[in-house]
Amino acid sequence: MSEPFVAAPRQSVRASGWLTVAAAVGLVLVFPIVAHSDYRLYLGTQVAIYLLVAMGLNLLSGYAGQPSLCHGALLAVGGYVTALATTDHGWSFWPAALASMGLTAAAGALIALPAFRVSAWYFALITLAFADVVGGMLVEWGGLTHSFDGVVGIPMPSLLGHTLSAGELFWLVSAVDIACFLMIANLIRGRFGRGFVALRDNEHAARASGISLIGLKMFAFVVSAAITGLAGAFYAVQKTVITPDDFTPDVSIFFLVVVVLGGSGRLWGPLIGTLAFFVVPELLTSLQSWRLLIYGIVLLALMLFAPHGLEGTLRSGWRKLIRPRDALPATAPQAIAAPVGEAGRNGMAVTITGLVKRFGGVTALDNIDLQIEAGSVHAIVGPNGSGKTTMLNMICGFFKPDEGSIRLDATDVVGRATARIARLGVGRTFQTPKLLPELTATANAMLGAYAAERASTVEVAIWAPRAAREHASLSARARYFLGFVGLGDRVNEPAGELPHGQQRLAEIARALMGQPRLLLLDEPAAGLSLSEIDRLGALIRSIAGLGVTVVIVEHHLDLVADICRRVSVLDRGRVLAEGTPDDVFRDPAVVSAYMGVRPLTDAQVPA
Amino acid sequence: MDLDIIPSGLAAGSLYALVAVGFNILYRPTNVFNFAQGDLVMLGAMTGASGMAAGLPWFAALLGAAALVGLIGLAENVVAVAPVVRRSSVSHAWIISTLAYSLIIDNLVGHVWGPDPIRVDPPWPFSVTSFMVGGMRTSSYQLGLIVLTGVMILAIEQFYRTRAGKAVRAVAEDRDAALLRGIDPDALSRWSFFLGAGFAAMTGLLAAPTMYASTQLGPSLLVKGFEAAAVGGIGNNRGALIAGWILGLAEAFGGSVLSPGYQAASTFVLLLVILLIQPRGLFGAPEMRSV
Amino acid sequence: MTARLQVEAIDVGYGHVGVLQQVSVDIPAGSIVALVGSNGAGKSTLLRAISGLLKPSRGRIVLDGADIAGLRPDRIVDAGVLHVAEGRRLFRQQSVADNLELGLYGSRLGRAGEDERYRLVFDLFPILGERRQSRAGVLSGGQQQMLAIAQALMRDPRVLMLDEPSLGLAPVIVDQVLDVIVRLRAAGTTIVLVEQMVERALEIADYAYVLQNGRIAGHGPAATLAASDLVKNAYIGTGHS
Repeated sequence: MSEPFVAAPRQSVRASGWLTVAAAVGLVLVFPIVAHSDYRLYLGTQVAIYLLVAMGLNLLSGYAGQPSLCHGALLAVGGYVTALATTDHGWSFWPAALASMGLTAAAGALIALPAFRVSAWYFALITLAFADVVGGMLVEWGGLTHSFDGVVGIPMPSLLGHTLSAGELFWLVSAVDIACFLMIANLIRGRFGRGFVALRDNEHAARASGISLIGLKMFAFVVSAAITGLAGAFYAVQKTVITPDDFTPDVSIFFLVVVVLGGSGRLWGPLIGTLAFFVVPELLTSLQSWRLLIYGIVLLALMLFAPHGLEGTLRSGWRKLIRPRDALPATAPQAIAAPVGEAGRNGMAVTITGLVKRFGGVTALDNIDLQIEAGSVHAIVGPNGSGKTTMLNMICGFFKPDEGSIRLDATDVVGRATARIARLGVGRTFQTPKLLPELTATANAMLGAYAAERASTVEVAIWAPRAAREHASLSARARYFLGFVGLGDRVNEPAGELPHGQQRLAEIARALMGQPRLLLLDEPAAGLSLSEIDRLGALIRSIAGLGVTVVIVEHHLDLVADICRRVSVLDRGRVLAEGTPDDVFRDPAVVSAYMGVRPLTDAQVPA
Repeated sequence: MDLDIIPSGLAAGSLYALVAVGFNILYRPTNVFNFAQGDLVMLGAMTGASGMAAGLPWFAALLGAAALVGLIGLAENVVAVAPVVRRSSVSHAWIISTLAYSLIIDNLVGHVWGPDPIRVDPPWPFSVTSFMVGGMRTSSYQLGLIVLTGVMILAIEQFYRTRAGKAVRAVAEDRDAALLRGIDPDALSRWSFFLGAGFAAMTGLLAAPTMYASTQLGPSLLVKGFEAAAVGGIGNNRGALIAGWILGLAEAFGGSVLSPGYQAASTFVLLLVILLIQPRGLFGAPEMRSV
Repeated sequence: MTARLQVEAIDVGYGHVGVLQQVSVDIPAGSIVALVGSNGAGKSTLLRAISGLLKPSRGRIVLDGADIAGLRPDRIVDAGVLHVAEGRRLFRQQSVADNLELGLYGSRLGRAGEDERYRLVFDLFPILGERRQSRAGVLSGGQQQMLAIAQALMRDPRVLMLDEPSLGLAPVIVDQVLDVIVRLRAAGTTIVLVEQMVERALEIADYAYVLQNGRIAGHGPAATLAASDLVKNAYIGTGHS
């Protein structure tokens, strides 16, 4: 089983993965021979078609977290395009199937554009409305679709003059299933999988890693729709007759149930879900009129008791049974040193002038001027509520300033999207770590390199040598940086299971993966023990040693004094003082801002 | 095109606005958009129709339906929403669990009442008999519905001026801060589910004279109500009223200029265009700081 | 109305992460007790545990002899313990008057009692009376902090817990806020004050506890602590004295 995010030794994933594929091919080859009845063969083909839809839906709803209620309608679009093209217009199956994919993807893209600017639940309802419209149009455009009569006499595909038999159609669809499965497995293993999960579990982390949310959601939907469109083409030729009644709203619900039942966001979920449905066909025929009730109860029970579906339940049961611990040898924590080939980067200079940000009646930042030298470690300190985090949020584009400019080197970034600023080479960590809890520490770190990855979508989908090489090198770099921050022995652990302090370190590793020229750290020392803080100090110094500009918001003044060349003190949204740590922490105004109005006597000043 | 589409569009739009307000009632304290809302409306229409068929006067049937459906909404909160939201307040698992609840209601109602639409008479003194006024064909019930919807939505808005209503808005804005002021969000959620479902039942019985009571009502009103809520800005009841009317008119216009089959498509296209320009709807609240 | 609040050896954690360990604090009736310590030491967590937002896994929280640990937050408010959270957590979309009214939610004061509370807070914070129709979100930071305190005062608290009331405020406003706290003590309210302006807090407090890494690192009369290194070390860290 090759679930790429779950801790497992790398080599055996490969081996068992290929073994599984070989087993699947074997099963597919023999099935038509042993099926013994046309009905079983028909059913087998149907399973294979439904599996295709379920895999497409799982990509969008399970991984990318965008629940779709229109996959039945997309299936209809795909089915009708092929059906009409091959009957009324005399196309052969192959271009018709391509047209099915293209038109379905286009329909998906059209509704996705407005839908993806809003929450996931909007998306669900918009897809529901879309399904409603498609259902209406199948009848309304009777001149094209033959209305309730449907399309009859859809021919079997033929190849080189040979018309496929039912068994050969089964082989064809199954081959597409296997190809699609491998493609999705590859996409998920590559940067898209990490990006999808980031869309689902933490959009802030996604944006800070340079991911354009709408672009990636659109990609997930278009791929998902195209797969469903292809399934529609097969559906049409298998049934030979399609009518609007084949595509009632229940069909969309059915696919959702299949995905949730199997395990949403799990690679094997769709297969398990689809098979589970066909293992009990008798039950479903005798209880036909109670079908929706059964769907409802199954969905509700799953959401309450098994949110990861059968796959998740089986897997956790299996884990409990055999309790495998990390089979990978724990990497010894590495000595902190600049990684090979990482040094000598040009740090980015930050120039902030006249920056103002208001929230309602409160001026959070009031005319800030700040110059951060390229390649320096610059601290921003100040009492709680003085505007430090707001400042970081403005630099990386989460908030737009009301006035003033922020220049990174010579580029004015005011008004740019966070993802675009991140791509300039701006990495950041958050006060509360924003990791993807289900992914391993390595996968989380690799997310940071999202925008830097060069392998094209197609190369990732077929796991071309370049994609494989890039994956291997990124994965090695991720492990390297995890070692660099001191997490060398936890690389395979799900990030959600790391203690808080280590999650912060994993975030630093993620930021470093983006090869930042400017790194923004928001209270990295909060909640760390004294020895961990010392280690953090050494780490930040080595990061600075790479040439990266580091801006750190921090309360531990020891640490700040230790590592920073310059300190800016914010108080109530203004720069109260700026200079070397020694000078600044002796400034009576600073001491009073921190400790109260009475300045400390000389003897009490930290030095 | 004739002018009849104006009263009929506004009357249909009023119903969409009422469904949207039902969504908002639940959404405000819970941040859950109830996918079973359409079926609660439908159930209200069915139980109300049965009540009237059993000889109950309209108003008694209305109260009975509202109480019954209110309890079913309360049960939804207990079974399908509270446990899912408690496990993770950020995930969207509630989309699937409320959808599941809607399937259960839909299927059960289908078995109890059967597939045939039930005709429901409007309450005295209204009638669906049409007459002409100002060149438009309308009925006293259509006009009454339009006025009543406006009144009901203003009344709901008045409720949000009471202390309980302010508490609901407080929970929507900052749940923890509300907890610290002694407001119990769980109790408010339960009340909101009860009242929101009761409101849905009322909407259903009001819809029945023009749309008939049938299981078909649920899914279509779910979509139309969502469109009105989204166009008006989620949580904004007055926005929902205006959006409902706009959608009702667009639907009637599309249906009249093209053909009735284009009704759903007209509102859907309008929705997409508006969301493309204004993702938070025409009257939506601006986004708050979230990092 | 005043009350004594005792926290007895509580443990509190988020998930697997223990934040407070064996924390005991005694807050005598009618006094100001300051909780000091660096960021992340657990001060806010302690307040959240007392007000019921977090459930202690061990230990008792006793208000005038009754254990209130683990009660729902609204029950704890009913018992008279009010918590003004860090960061001026108001209902920004609603008016000043509505925010004050929300402070009365669930109270059984009656019309006259409620009017009395309004008179009291407008007397303490005249500016709120002037701006009662403004949306809370457009108030200045100082006004928002006053409103947050006033909102809690509407319930006539026996114990008032303030988390970082000086946060982001100008010194002259901080003076006003601290002055109000002293007046509240004079009226008999028990006060728990979490404050990063340690010196200012210790000036007005009767007694103080120092938290470090989720434990009580020390406690004593405020004046004594102000003179000791303990507090400074807890804030600035060690090694720089």
